[in-house]
Amino acid sequence: MSQEPEQKSSNIELELDDDTDIVPRRRFLSLAGAGLLTIGFGSLAEGFVGGLTEPLNQQVESLIFQPQKPVPEFPLSAIEPDKLIVNSFRGTPAINPAAYRLTIDGDVNNPLSLSSEDLQKLPFTSMVIRHVCVEGWAAIVQWGGVRLRDLLAIAKLLPQSKYVYFYSADGYYESWDLDSVLHPQTLMAYQKNGQDLSPENGAPLRLASPVKLGYKLSKWVTRIQITSKLGAKRGYWEDLGYEWYAGL
Amino acid sequence: MRSPVIPKQALPTKVFHWISLVSLFLMMTSGLQIYNANPVFGGRGGIHIPPVFGLGGWLAGGRHWHFAMMWIFVLNLLWYGLYVLLTRRWQHRYMSSKDVKALLVSQNPKRKNYAWHRLVYTLLIPILLLSIFTGIGMYKPAQFYWIVDSFGGWDALRITHFMAVPIALILGFLHSQLGRKVGSDRLLDSMFWTDN
Repeated sequence: MSQEPEQKSSNIELELDDDTDIVPRRRFLSLAGAGLLTIGFGSLAEGFVGGLTEPLNQQVESLIFQPQKPVPEFPLSAIEPDKLIVNSFRGTPAINPAAYRLTIDGDVNNPLSLSSEDLQKLPFTSMVIRHVCVEGWAAIVQWGGVRLRDLLAIAKLLPQSKYVYFYSADGYYESWDLDSVLHPQTLMAYQKNGQDLSPENGAPLRLASPVKLGYKLSKWVTRIQITSKLGAKRGYWEDLGYEWYAGL
Repeated sequence: MRSPVIPKQALPTKVFHWISLVSLFLMMTSGLQIYNANPVFGGRGGIHIPPVFGLGGWLAGGRHWHFAMMWIFVLNLLWYGLYVLLTRRWQHRYMSSKDVKALLVSQNPKRKNYAWHRLVYTLLIPILLLSIFTGIGMYKPAQFYWIVDSFGGWDALRITHFMAVPIALILGFLHSQLGRKVGSDRLLDSMFWTDN
């Protein structure tokens, strides 16, 4: 079925009562073709598009981020224990809790090496926050542990400190902006939903924070390194193409 | 070619329609790519969108496109909104009580079609604004926690954001068809192709 040429020249009153195709076939085919080509070439160009706009997005994101403002928390009754999905890039590493140490080094005056017992002697903070994954799901979780800002206060940051790298026992690595690291709800957590952190959730120690996406929240953290600049490697997923800032 | 009067469209209106069509297509397809990483309906084992409709190739690519096009999409609505305000098009170009009256009591089918046409394209505005509002809530749920709260939680927010796709598709389809019904293909062409 195609548009009759006569229709084009008829007057409007007549044409309104004519049966026309819902979408003329040629127009439909060209629209569908243009759409598929856009998806095809657009998918090939995703890295280019990201490289073009991510610096702008990151500027806006860090501009509107309020580093000292706590995110409102939830009551304990709001916890969603079944919603937290376990993600890792190569499974759960075996860690001997007795031999575990957390190293804090880099641009600090007082490098640290802490055992689990040392960490548990430091001031304890508990929070109930929404943990948001880049995949789109979210879970309300209680995390308990030490504020990262408290740890870094002991390690004494040097003035040039700007970024923080997190290295994990499984080879995962991440880097953060210092503002987000010093946020009052960014914790090195050893407790989840009122219980000791389980190995698959990151025991003995993991990052927890309401201000970053889940892939920034490293599990099994063994080393925290303060630096003045970002290296070529910025994080496992970031180096594959994911956004570095990933703020919430 | 013997052609009747071709409707005239203001240039800003044509530009707005073009940018809307392209940016909405890119927002929807990259959004479906993101949706597929963990479908809100059923999670990983849930209902996936056929990958051919997903722009970006993988989750990070879908996010790159989505967060690039959001600026174009939002700024396009913003400048056109200002244009509609300043030129006072808002006073006589959108759904009004006269159209409601026409739909209820008019015996004139052409007037009724025209009222439907105005109803549908007026409805598109709150749907597009809602998709921006829910999108900000999902992009920055910690800073705009009150947006998440206003929908009662994360999943409700996600579903509302997602529903903007089928609703905008249906309204957009009806908009183009009612436009043809009211002014035939000449009206549609005048918005996208014809020089005037």
